[in-house]
Amino acid sequence: MKTIVLLSDARNPVSGRQQLSRLEAQAIGLAAGLCEKPRGLHAGSGEDGVSAGLGHGLAGLDIIDLPATDDPLPALAGFIAKAMGGAGAPELILCGRRGEGGEETGLVPYRLAETLGLPILADAVAIRAGEIAGTLVVDQAMAKGARRRVTIKLPAIVTVHSLAPPPMPFAFGRMRRGEIRHHEPLERLGLPDTAARSDASAEERPHRARPKLMRQSGTASGGPNLHVGPEPDEAARLILDYLEANGIRRYGSS
Amino acid sequence: MSRLRKDPRAERQERQVAAAGRRPRIDVGHREAKAASGRLRRDPWREWSASLVGESRRKRYDRSQRQMEHGNSARLTRARARDGVEATEISPGQPAVRVIDEPAFLVFAVITAAGGRLSRLDRQLLGAARLLADAGDGGGAAVAITAAFDPVTAKDLARSLGEAGADRVLSVPGDIHPSGTAAALRHHVEAFAPRHMLFAEDGDSADLARRLAVSLNEPLFAGVEHLTPRSAVRALRNGTREVALAPPLLMTLGEDRMKPYESGPCEARPLDIEVGPFGGDPAILSVEIIPGDPASLALSETDFVVSAGNGVSDFAAFGDLAAVLKATPGASRVVCDAGLMPRAAQVGASGTVLAADCYLALGISGAPQHLQGIAGCEHVIAVNTDLHAAMIERAGLAIVQDAQLVMPALVKLLAERQA
Repeated sequence: MKTIVLLSDARNPVSGRQQLSRLEAQAIGLAAGLCEKPRGLHAGSGEDGVSAGLGHGLAGLDIIDLPATDDPLPALAGFIAKAMGGAGAPELILCGRRGEGGEETGLVPYRLAETLGLPILADAVAIRAGEIAGTLVVDQAMAKGARRRVTIKLPAIVTVHSLAPPPMPFAFGRMRRGEIRHHEPLERLGLPDTAARSDASAEERPHRARPKLMRQSGTASGGPNLHVGPEPDEAARLILDYLEANGIRRYGSS
Repeated sequence: MSRLRKDPRAERQERQVAAAGRRPRIDVGHREAKAASGRLRRDPWREWSASLVGESRRKRYDRSQRQMEHGNSARLTRARARDGVEATEISPGQPAVRVIDEPAFLVFAVITAAGGRLSRLDRQLLGAARLLADAGDGGGAAVAITAAFDPVTAKDLARSLGEAGADRVLSVPGDIHPSGTAAALRHHVEAFAPRHMLFAEDGDSADLARRLAVSLNEPLFAGVEHLTPRSAVRALRNGTREVALAPPLLMTLGEDRMKPYESGPCEARPLDIEVGPFGGDPAILSVEIIPGDPASLALSETDFVVSAGNGVSDFAAFGDLAAVLKATPGASRVVCDAGLMPRAAQVGASGTVLAADCYLALGISGAPQHLQGIAGCEHVIAVNTDLHAAMIERAGLAIVQDAQLVMPALVKLLAERQA
């Protein structure tokens, strides 16, 4: 199935140079497992960072030339809508759960899904083609190592979680062989722009690192919870009762 | 305490007489000082009596910054602060549970409460909601919205929600597709028109926040790093810039950014509202949940770790115990250095720093570097032969016994219970 990976304008936090976001490199890895020739799509200026995606497994890269300050969403939506109308329409659009370099709200895939009328699934860690043609089986990451396996009809948009398999190794020759096409942002799908509507009191300034809260240690054992020299059977009963009373595990009938 | 909090500076300002000259002149006879804020006075008597430990003749106080448990807060209202004086007499009219009958506005906090228990992040979200609800003149109500609120476990969950600072509880249907949950949330937003809405920047909550933002066509303030009643701050452009603005409608919050609520319990009154049936997503054909296998999970991802130290010598039995307890096996540095457990299992400053809920330490004395690794664990159980070990002091349940004897007893008891 034809797959597109959306690439954002990530920067190295120290040097400020363009680079490929790790999450998007993982998305390329997932796409390469599904599709022989996955293509990348980037709307922005410059190709230094995103061209590394070719070395990680993309067959080609489409770049919509936009000034860095422009909202990439209408141009992306227009490009994908046009591609879906033509032959060899993309069936799957992959992206990271939050793009880097811009506003970083993680809303682009959701707005794109709304504009194009596609279903969206978040936090994929594994993807494979379904048994029925035109379906996709997505494993979503959940808390505590659980996975939710969802079968979805294509075409669809899927965002990738950081617990997905690590990206494929970078190959310089593959990056040189990859084909980069530049496009003009011809067609833009109009969207109500919420960014412009955001609060007038908004103030942008250099980032200041704020420490996270210290993790406090939990409860200490008081008198009733200290048992000196109980019989092993009694100790085992105390431990299991404590586990069940605090809802850690249930070892009863289930 | 039923009296209102005084603001001496405002009172002084009120009494000041406008007069020419450099010296301020005060009208001493002026008695009509108005209260600057609607907050009640704090009552040190109640706080001290709540931290009183034991009933011995010599008074012992526990003043650690510990979250108030339900038992404590109940004691807080019943305790005799002084001989012959009931606490309720010291502060008459103050209810044991904080009740907000007619809230001026609402603040929603969408929490997961997996398994009917509140996680750290859930408590922090409710703390943030409480902060925003008490902002300015106060009078707002924090509403916990959860899919886990079902009538069977409702009592326990409602109590812990109240302790975490929720005035109201709303439920959303949980076992439908995320688009259906988002539609139910949108229904609640339109019905109650909350002033703010907080989500976790994690898992399904983050997904819901974005679906709702698109559906309401509202901007989303994702990953708040710093939140006060007046401003919310988040990073953008690869963490090089930040944007600050008055707290907007939709916000998501990462872990360890806000303090949980720590005062007396709130009411957590369930709100009854008819939620129509929301259809699932037609594109989703099937959904199946695959539970995580604790044995193969990474230590940083799991919720329950059973760990072996120098007091354990039979590692085959330890492995069996971890399997039947459905826990992830871990080890101390000594054991990993000896090659008895893989290096990936090491817990501590130089191994894995855990995010688990529960930690069962078998034969571990608790070196400082090891205790750093379990600083985030809420429940710690220690089995050790040394009464004076640091791990025994840290543990919520401490058993002074040989771990080698307790392990087979545990396996036997588990087999009995599961039979």
